Amino acid sequence: MQEYQFPNRPNFDLKFNPKMVYAALAALFLLWGASGIYVVQPAEMAVVFRFGKAVAQASPGLHYHFPTPIEDVEIESVSEVKRLEIGFRTISASPTPRYQKVAAEAVMLTGDENIADVELIVQYRIHDVENYFFKVREQSKAIHDVAEAALRQVIGQHTIDEALTEGKLQIQEEIQIQIQGVLDLYEMGVRIEQAKLQTVSVPQEVDFAFKDVASAREDRERLRNEAEAYQNDIIPRTRGEAEKMLREAEAYKVERVKRSQGDADRFLEVLKEYRKAKDVTETRLFLETMEKVLPGMQKFIVDTDGKGGLLNVLQMQKPSVGGN
Amino acid sequence: MRGVITLVVLLVAMAVLADSAMFIVDEREQVVVTQLGEPVDTIREPGLNYKIPFIQQLHIFDDRLLYSDAEPAQIYTQDKKNLIVDNYARWRIVDPLQFLVSVQSVAQAQSRLDDIIYSAIREELGQRTLVEIVSTHRQAIMDTVTVRSRASAISLGIEILDVRIKRADLPRENKANVFDRMKAERSRTAKEYRAEGEEAATKIRAETDLDVTRLTSEAFQNAQLTRGEGDAEALRIYAEAFQQDPKFYEFVRTLEAYEKTLTTGTTIVLPPSSDFFKYLGKYRSR
Repeated sequence: MQEYQFPNRPNFDLKFNPKMVYAALAALFLLWGASGIYVVQPAEMAVVFRFGKAVAQASPGLHYHFPTPIEDVEIESVSEVKRLEIGFRTISASPTPRYQKVAAEAVMLTGDENIADVELIVQYRIHDVENYFFKVREQSKAIHDVAEAALRQVIGQHTIDEALTEGKLQIQEEIQIQIQGVLDLYEMGVRIEQAKLQTVSVPQEVDFAFKDVASAREDRERLRNEAEAYQNDIIPRTRGEAEKMLREAEAYKVERVKRSQGDADRFLEVLKEYRKAKDVTETRLFLETMEKVLPGMQKFIVDTDGKGGLLNVLQMQKPSVGGN
Repeated sequence: MRGVITLVVLLVAMAVLADSAMFIVDEREQVVVTQLGEPVDTIREPGLNYKIPFIQQLHIFDDRLLYSDAEPAQIYTQDKKNLIVDNYARWRIVDPLQFLVSVQSVAQAQSRLDDIIYSAIREELGQRTLVEIVSTHRQAIMDTVTVRSRASAISLGIEILDVRIKRADLPRENKANVFDRMKAERSRTAKEYRAEGEEAATKIRAETDLDVTRLTSEAFQNAQLTRGEGDAEALRIYAEAFQQDPKFYEFVRTLEAYEKTLTTGTTIVLPPSSDFFKYLGKYRSR
């Protein structure tokens, strides 16, 4: 300083003033004190540590804590539903979501030693922020591990058909209970909101065989329906035919009875008159019939007392046809 | 002037001293204090603590649940099947002093735990069948492994909370067999469904045909009965009427039959002596 002089040194009295030091110290102290102001956003919770020990929780709003290192604060979002994925990862969210398969997580053995391809989504929420902070390291990995183990454990207790179809709801429920049970053992302060099976399928290698079962089931229904259609078509027709046969028979009966009655009535009427004059009537009826019958006939009156009478008739007939 | 310098120097000195003499134990930590390598204190409660600067050292350990996730390992089941098992363990340091003495660090502890758990798993799974591991006894197996590993790990100052089988899968080369079996099972089911369909259809058709036959023959039976009744009724009516004068009936009916049978074109040969011509003969003989 004494040997070297800056050429353009500002003309500023740098006389050491103790007051400036006090002021600077005071300013630093104030700044330090002000560093304890913090904001907890809605849906967040804060835990205040005093010398490393949790002493208070703070809800959303503007707060103050004694500055570090006396007090410290950690803030975590709690009402937000967190989500983890097993068997796949969402690479980009909507509007054009893209997913990546994680086969190592998704492909697993079922209870009947089949292999299924299962994807699971677990949604959870922190309900005890202190436990969440203090009990477990790498919480999300812990939850992921627990969920993966639970998924396989539960799928392992069900057959592939249950997992593919009617057992899904029950499986989801069991997975949720299983995860919650283990997390409670860990005292994680986390509540599982939902465990949801995303897709349950079979590996590509056997996909066709499974689809064929579905189409076979449809074939079964189709065959049955076709037969029922046949039944529904032919039975009413037959009933109609049967009804027709019965009615025809009844018609026949009526006809027979009525006709016979008619015949009988006619006969009786005639008989009544006949009885009044038997011989005359008999003769008359006979002659009337002859009158009706004989005109249309070819008649030969032959005296058959002699021999060959009939032969003569035939001979007579021939020339009359051939000659003339 | 001197006062100011003294103050600043004093502040700095206090800060240095405070930093080496005081320490904060976090809610998530536990601390072993050693003095020249000799453990003197274990602090498990969070808060502000003091130590002798430079002579005493701190060994800070996590107080939370830690995990070890070993590499998947191949094991053989009791029914001689190959399984790739991936398990994890959740554990915590319950005796930091013991922990410090026996394994020093978490990384060391991990590898010791891996050995302990792997041997427990292998021993237990070797006595179990594949179905027991995958399905029926999974929880019991995990419980047994946990208990056994816990007993071995407690000497390290570690409490194992649980050991869980994350995955138990067949190796790639065994999957083909499973797929073949799955296909066979499915094809059996598919065949069964189709055969059931045929069965139902054939049954329905046969029942239908039977119903048709029954309906028509019953109808025929009833129709014939009705016709018979009609015939019988007619017979009765005829008989009743004709009974009144059988001779006359014969006469009238014969005439009727003549009318019907002796139609136009019929050739008839009549002797002059017939009744019809009896007057003709008379006339001639006159």
